[in-house]
Amino acid sequence: MSASGTVEGAAHREPHSPEATIGRKPDYLHAESTLRSWFLATDHKRIAILYLVSITGFFVIGALAAGVVRLALVVPNGAIMSNDTYNKAFTIHGVVMVWFFLIPSIPATFGNFLIPLMIGAKDLAFPKLNLTSWYVFMAGALFTLVSVVLGGVDTGWTFYAPLSTAFSNTWVLPALIGVTIVGFSSILTGLNFVVTIHTMRAPGMTWFKLPIFVWTHYATSLIFLLATPVITTALILLIAERAFHVGVFDPAFGGDPVLFQHLFWFYSHPAVYIMVLPGMGVISEIVPAFARKKLFGYRFVAYASIGLASVTFFVWGHHMFINGQSDLASLVFSSLSFAVAVPSAVKVYNWTATIHKGSLRLDTPMLYAMGYIGLFVLGGLTGLYLATLAINQHVHATYFVVAHFHYIMVGGTVLAFLGGLHFWWPKFTGRMYSEPWGRVSALLIFLGFNVTFFPQFILGYLGMPRRYATYPPEFQLLNVLSSAGATILAAGYIFPMLYLVYSLWFGRKAPANPWDAKGLEWETSSPPPTLNFVSPPEVPRIPYDYPIQATESKDQHR
Amino acid sequence: MSESFVNEPLADGVGVARAHHFESVAQQREAATLGIWAWLITELLLFSALFLVALITRIQHPEATVAAARHLKFWIGATNTVVLICSSLTMSMAIEFSRMGWQRAMVRAMLATAALGALFLVLKGYEYYADWSEHMMPFLADRPFELAETPAARLFVNLYYVATVLHAVHLFTGIALLLGMTWMAAKAGFLSRHQNWIEVYGLYWHFIDLVWILAFPILYVVNRAT
Amino acid sequence: MTPDHAAIQFWPVAASVKAVETDELILAFTVLTLALTVPVFIAITWFALRYREGSEADRSPSGIRSNLIEISWMLIPFLLTLIFFAWGAQLFVQSRNAPPDAMVVEAVGRQWMWKFQHATGQSEINDLHLPIGQPIKMRIISQDVIHALYLPAVRMQVAALPDRYTEMWFKADKVGTFHLYCSEYCGTDHSVMGGKVTFMNPGDYQDWLVHAGAQQGKVAAGRVLYQAYGCAGCHEPGSPVGAPGFAGLYGSKVQLADGRTVTADDGWLRDKILNPNGDKLAGGGKQVMPSFAGRIPEDDLGRIIDFIKAYPGTGQSAEATR
Repeated sequence: MSASGTVEGAAHREPHSPEATIGRKPDYLHAESTLRSWFLATDHKRIAILYLVSITGFFVIGALAAGVVRLALVVPNGAIMSNDTYNKAFTIHGVVMVWFFLIPSIPATFGNFLIPLMIGAKDLAFPKLNLTSWYVFMAGALFTLVSVVLGGVDTGWTFYAPLSTAFSNTWVLPALIGVTIVGFSSILTGLNFVVTIHTMRAPGMTWFKLPIFVWTHYATSLIFLLATPVITTALILLIAERAFHVGVFDPAFGGDPVLFQHLFWFYSHPAVYIMVLPGMGVISEIVPAFARKKLFGYRFVAYASIGLASVTFFVWGHHMFINGQSDLASLVFSSLSFAVAVPSAVKVYNWTATIHKGSLRLDTPMLYAMGYIGLFVLGGLTGLYLATLAINQHVHATYFVVAHFHYIMVGGTVLAFLGGLHFWWPKFTGRMYSEPWGRVSALLIFLGFNVTFFPQFILGYLGMPRRYATYPPEFQLLNVLSSAGATILAAGYIFPMLYLVYSLWFGRKAPANPWDAKGLEWETSSPPPTLNFVSPPEVPRIPYDYPIQATESKDQHR
Repeated sequence: MSESFVNEPLADGVGVARAHHFESVAQQREAATLGIWAWLITELLLFSALFLVALITRIQHPEATVAAARHLKFWIGATNTVVLICSSLTMSMAIEFSRMGWQRAMVRAMLATAALGALFLVLKGYEYYADWSEHMMPFLADRPFELAETPAARLFVNLYYVATVLHAVHLFTGIALLLGMTWMAAKAGFLSRHQNWIEVYGLYWHFIDLVWILAFPILYVVNRAT
Repeated sequence: MTPDHAAIQFWPVAASVKAVETDELILAFTVLTLALTVPVFIAITWFALRYREGSEADRSPSGIRSNLIEISWMLIPFLLTLIFFAWGAQLFVQSRNAPPDAMVVEAVGRQWMWKFQHATGQSEINDLHLPIGQPIKMRIISQDVIHALYLPAVRMQVAALPDRYTEMWFKADKVGTFHLYCSEYCGTDHSVMGGKVTFMNPGDYQDWLVHAGAQQGKVAAGRVLYQAYGCAGCHEPGSPVGAPGFAGLYGSKVQLADGRTVTADDGWLRDKILNPNGDKLAGGGKQVMPSFAGRIPEDDLGRIIDFIKAYPGTGQSAEATR
């Protein structure tokens, strides 16, 4: 195995389906054009597009709710809207963003589209199940939207009992049913991915030739399968409690409200990694492609994905340090939470090392990836602050927490989503977007994000509790700053929606491999044909076979 | 790994038709088997969380739980356990017949399985009726709860309903799927195209059985001890 | 009595030793964070410039064994952060074990107010007066949903659970008035469920217990209840409902619709709150007030009546009782 990269390696590799103009079968987008062919599609690529359109809709709803929240907080005394309206706005923001955008965002769209391509398969193992999971998702969405339209929910996305079961007078039940149903959609998607990755790999595509994107989706799918059923049970009990007063979580009947928190966070902490891991997969594809260099420490990054997915099942108690949990449990959960930092650090340092001595192109996807690394590091380390017991006693349930998880969720997942969207847009649609607009939006989002959320770290340490419709006047300056940042962020989100849609009709036609990237998805035409590959793809000898190779490839691929 | 899934000896003319996106029948069978196992693990965790809550309730409120559990119809529960074990037996027979290519015997075994499943539901329904007449349905506003003086008893009884109704929903879905599949399986040529449906479905049926075998001791037996 | 906070703040006031230690901990942690992240940020920026496509940089392999690097950048940051786990855990354990001589103050949370009861029996609502230099143990419980009592000045918060007591202790060492919040989301008026904690010199505290605590406290508490139970929404002058006001009501003669005249004394006010449909007022509008029987505990009812007694004259709002 050659130790260093050679220049010829960079030469454009011929795609396996050359762009013949005559006699070429239409690609998956043009194979059929009836509505029926979309809504009854079993092609994983079309289902991915269905998901992409639906989650974009939810992103808009969630973002509008966030806009309402930031608007309300411009003044300290709640003069702009009633407390009730504010509470409903942040609940809708949380419910929609967590359950209907972040969790399905990367797996159900990019994962759906790319996993079969990356492993050289014609489709996912269960195409009809894949379509079913989209319909299940939309059914859950419908229930939640009904609750929003009827008047909203005011419990927060965490639905803590007994507030959600016995005290709230809002439309909790349809929202709960919607979220429960969406869980089944996640389970079906995860199941499909696990089976596909196990059984559908092309001949020669061994586990350690899989792209990290596939590894992280495998880890994510395991979390879908092992954690989601627990929250389904918790939500079923919560529904039964609200509808029939079952009493499991209601102290009036001897139930235990903290038990709900345990069941809830047993899922919802791993769910954080459902949102984070696929993003790490996206970054692990983008960074080598734009550094023209093999991913540093491939095996370590692959193991770290599985490691993260495992450790994350044992840290849920760090959400309950102040909630009457025993001190011993708090100490154990705190120490285990520090262990999560290890696999996360592996990834960040490996991405940085990949850039070292690369040959960098700072195109839009790479800008997003670099923004991701910076923001994810800050989000991750402030997570350690929160895992530190004495600090947690002060900043638990303050804006410090809000800032922390937005650095992970927006700075991490959303940036990875946008980076991936730009990276694979030519593959999805066969069109190129406007690169200058892409770069401007990426910078705008990075700037807007930091102006919005960095002040919230300070607000939190000053002691401003989260979910407050009104607040003491001395916090106004930082809140106004945060709201101002949110408007920059909103502008940054609007641009991609415009120029990406514009590119669908007016964009330059994309070649099979516009970035000269490695990976089987670039070996077929853009957009790919219905069965993905015209002739069976040739599996490369090593993953990330970029021109520049570090010495470590000797250790990694003996 | 794939070896273990395709090693079952199959009679001539029995097998699986390859769907377009699989490379081989072996791959397709492996995918189906792995898929159902993944689903069953998920389902098992769903019920485990519920049983865990039931056990926590028992630990927190032992006396109330025992008082409530004594109202459960132990003999109906026990009979139902036997009924479901028998149904697993007939389902296993159906799988074996399908491998041998004995289509008619297989269809009969499947019908017997569905009948035993239905018998379980009838007995369960009778048990619910008995509970209703004994005022053991605390979630009904118009029927005062028999054990109203111990609030925690209500907790356990409600959990019992959540767990058994969830199981009954699974069983009902199972019977509906089984009847639908039996209808298709009675047609000529079924075994040459979809034999593995029977195997995959058999795993699901055994799972429903397994959940009851866990539920019966956790709800009925453990709590009868004083 | 507004809290002693500057108009614009960048660091919270620390009013206990634990608060100072927590601040030191987070500052030290921040130093470590910077040590771990700034090199990454600088490296990314530097690499992006140095190794951009087409630059004449040296791209020959550095020849460093990667397994060693991987293991070192896994373990070194982890071990460094473990120092902070230990430090935080030690502070946490201290803050969980109250000294035996701590003075116990009861705190009861409910939608949407905090009720505090001092060891000597005085109680107050949303306000809390405490002595400095004396360990205080709050015994916390909730009457409905989960709340959390949060005192940023001492860097402490603990949940108020509906089914069992939780505890929080601290020893304030700084005189002043600081914020007191509910930090666990508890419904509509979550953000209003808070008030002020006033740390006083022990002598002033004794003085407060004897004078203000016993007398003013009741009226102030009644005013909070008057808002919390929603009375103010209809009875406050200028409300759209136009319910009868309380100015000069106590002790006055009230004309009833059936021609009788009654004196608005404690007993009559109590009956009227619990059963608004009885004793219809002469010339009054439509009776729309709901019954509060079973909804207001007896002690709160007494405080509301005390507040009505002290209600200021015509033209002034409830705020004037402050």
